[in-house]
Amino acid sequence: MPLLEIRNLVVRYGEIEALRGVTIAVEQGQVVTLLGANGAGKSTTLRAISGLAKPASGDILFDGHSIAGLGPEAIVRLGISHVPEGRRVFPGLTVKENIMLGASNRKVSASQISREADAMFDLFPDIRAFSNALGWTLSGGQLQMVAVARGLMAKPRLLLLDEPSLGLAPVIVQAVFRIISQIRKDTTVLLVEQNARMGLSVADHGFVLETGRIVLGGKPDELWGNEAIAAAYLGGHAKTHA
Amino acid sequence: MDLVLQLLFTGIGIGAVYALVALGFVLIFRATNVVNFAQGEFSMVAAYLMVVCVELGLPYWLSFVIALAGMALIGVIFNLGVYYPLRHRTYLPVIIATIGASILLANSVLAIYGPQPQVLQGWFDTPGIQLGPVYLDSQYLLIIGVTILLVLFNFWFFEKTLLGKKLQATSQDKEMASLLGISVSTMIMITFIYSAVLGGLAGILVAPVLFVSIQMGSTIALKAFAATIIGGFGDVAGAIVGGLALGVIETFGAAYISVPYKDGFAFLVLIAFLVFRPQGIFGERVAEKA
Repeated sequence: MPLLEIRNLVVRYGEIEALRGVTIAVEQGQVVTLLGANGAGKSTTLRAISGLAKPASGDILFDGHSIAGLGPEAIVRLGISHVPEGRRVFPGLTVKENIMLGASNRKVSASQISREADAMFDLFPDIRAFSNALGWTLSGGQLQMVAVARGLMAKPRLLLLDEPSLGLAPVIVQAVFRIISQIRKDTTVLLVEQNARMGLSVADHGFVLETGRIVLGGKPDELWGNEAIAAAYLGGHAKTHA
Repeated sequence: MDLVLQLLFTGIGIGAVYALVALGFVLIFRATNVVNFAQGEFSMVAAYLMVVCVELGLPYWLSFVIALAGMALIGVIFNLGVYYPLRHRTYLPVIIATIGASILLANSVLAIYGPQPQVLQGWFDTPGIQLGPVYLDSQYLLIIGVTILLVLFNFWFFEKTLLGKKLQATSQDKEMASLLGISVSTMIMITFIYSAVLGGLAGILVAPVLFVSIQMGSTIALKAFAATIIGGFGDVAGAIVGGLALGVIETFGAAYISVPYKDGFAFLVLIAFLVFRPQGIFGERVAEKA
């Protein structure tokens, strides 16, 4: 049984159908990457999983149980942690406080949370020195580190990462992806990326979304092998398809 | 010089009341992005609750506890009845609902208690103490003491506790807070209860100094609102500093310039701030804290 299974998911924003029947499965222990152009529905898929967007039809199963229609507060308590687009680090709280609040889905003492947050800096040594800096003072790369660290504080069984490389310098992107390959030892990851090369480099499986539908899925090698897809999404040199 | 010290004491005392109500304004504004126009009525209702309890012959401290518990309950009802049904709408329907609630509260008290202003005795039997050249009125001492304690509590609560951090997170980004498992509706409920109790406390403390009347709420709320703008809208420290400054300014204005125009000075300062420094004393930090 897959850890996460999405069946025929339809999500509407008013009149606009953002997802038109998406079906994907994420196996326990995998990193699965969702690729696609702007507006293809990648973020909407993650928002539907974490409860921010309500499905119009279809189902979302986590561990075999339907979570479609539950609120975000309930879903994160089940063990799905969503690091959304734009990092969304609280600007008026410090780095440490931001990270500590990531454990809000669990019933643990404040002192325990504080210890766990300190331990999180071992995985993210670059932000240790900014522990007491307010969120708004950080750079994009630092914000991304804080956002991922905060997401991991939920001790998720499934981590949803939305465009972790967006707007970051290449060297920072590499640092972020090094962390993702470390995380995967303990956590299943569903990753949304526009940077297809980076996205697939850490993935066990990939899906390509196009205007609200899954048009292709497979192992990274198979996706690279598909000329049309390589041209459209992966930056290959094959002839573009009409 | 003696007069200056005396006026400073009185001004800080009355300013402390504005500061407490302004704090309630700011906390609700930060949590919901809405100005609660019924914040002043919280003070008025609490003062009447206090009058009722004291007239029933209850001890003063017990009346105090009952009135504050009543305000906590009103905070719950206000949240569920006024804010919660409109929480997914824009700020405008919510603001209008708070204006409606303030009219409802004022007229309910009017219907039950009638239009005659009531008198509430102070907490202490001793009217005050003479400290050198300054006469310290016991009720003003109480107001200042309670305000200092509350400001310290407020700082500890929001800066040192995890619950305080969750409240701050909720006020900065509700969607992200909910993604972390913070119960946004609970955080907003706590904010309304706390703000109603703060407003109520201000009303109970200032009641022996003023008359207890239906209008006391709107008078206090207008000054407190001016205080939040002078301090820097949405800023906790600004609300406290703005409230104290306003109390001192109007007290000095009344003493040295004109008593009948006492209320005018507060608004003159407000207009000056709106023209020359609309972001208020702590303005820049508001933008940073977003």
